[in-house]
Amino acid sequence: MNFKRDVSIRTYSGFALSSLLVLTILNIILQNIPDKVERAGEQLLELNAQEGVANAVTSVVAYFRGFDTLGEIAVLFVAALGIGMMLSSNCKAPHKEESNFILQKASKLLFPVIMLFGVYVMIYGHLSPGGGFQGGVIIASGMLLLLISDQNFEIPHSVISALETFAGISYVLIGLIGLLVMDRFLGNFLPHDISEMGMLLSGGIIPLVYIVVGIKVGSEMSLIVQNLIKRSEDD
Amino acid sequence: MIETFLTYLNQDSTITAMVNIGSMTLFFIGLFGLLTHRHILRIFISISIMEIAIFLFFIGNTFDKRFTAPILGDGNTAFVAMNDPIPHAMILTAIVIGMAVFALGISFAIEYYKLTGKTDINEMNELGES
Repeated sequence: MNFKRDVSIRTYSGFALSSLLVLTILNIILQNIPDKVERAGEQLLELNAQEGVANAVTSVVAYFRGFDTLGEIAVLFVAALGIGMMLSSNCKAPHKEESNFILQKASKLLFPVIMLFGVYVMIYGHLSPGGGFQGGVIIASGMLLLLISDQNFEIPHSVISALETFAGISYVLIGLIGLLVMDRFLGNFLPHDISEMGMLLSGGIIPLVYIVVGIKVGSEMSLIVQNLIKRSEDD
Repeated sequence: MIETFLTYLNQDSTITAMVNIGSMTLFFIGLFGLLTHRHILRIFISISIMEIAIFLFFIGNTFDKRFTAPILGDGNTAFVAMNDPIPHAMILTAIVIGMAVFALGISFAIEYYKLTGKTDINEMNELGES
């Protein structure tokens, strides 16, 4: 059986025509959707006003769908585990090759700013656009800058595993305390007064959950980036 | 002339058509790359482009230009006349999962290349086909 892909001009034109056809049909269907569609978000926005969180997306991710977010960071953990198992086997010492001078100096200048911005996005996730996932990825990008500028830099595995374990355990603990004190998993047991909406200390457990998610995502992304860089260096 | 064009662009039907046609065109660009390329990293990139098209499709179809973003501040004091926050949360989940799957696939590709020196999917015949 031959898997060669010698694409002829007939295939190209057929592909273009069929994609145009699908586009047209889809557009006709979507133009005829009734104007007033029942939205699930209406009731959720009303519920959200009682939680004292200014950003409704944050309260959906970290509170109403908090159990799903626990599963999501579990998926991220499994992916990081798989990448570590695939790439860190028989890993040799990396090349001792000096990187660019401009990159070395600029990374020392930029790294604290990037970390500060990541922590800001993480902590203010319940007041402004942003949150744990975004802040964690920004922190991992700062780690990537250090890794590509300094060949000898390596994030110690003990630190990453300690942070990751702390974050995962505290997520589950916050949920279980909510189950014991309130009536459900991830119940909002801390005071969440509506009059304090917009302050940093508002929203009860929701900022705590998102900061924990940010720590976990940041450490896992840093581990993924480090594994990819260190493995692709040796040969 | 320009004002007429801007009024045309600001209509609901125009926005819907642009979102649908644009995102689906991006989807078919990704599908085309997936079907015609043989380098494995290019295939992963094509899958990522298809994913991004689906995200744009979701977010664009739940967007209503009369409503604001679901965040208080900048003059908003109550949760009324806001866009639906659920699609945003769903797409946030989907972006993270897609990134994790993409990184895992790239790590498989790197390890396969280190072992065999092949990147062309036509030459991957360890099971004895072809």
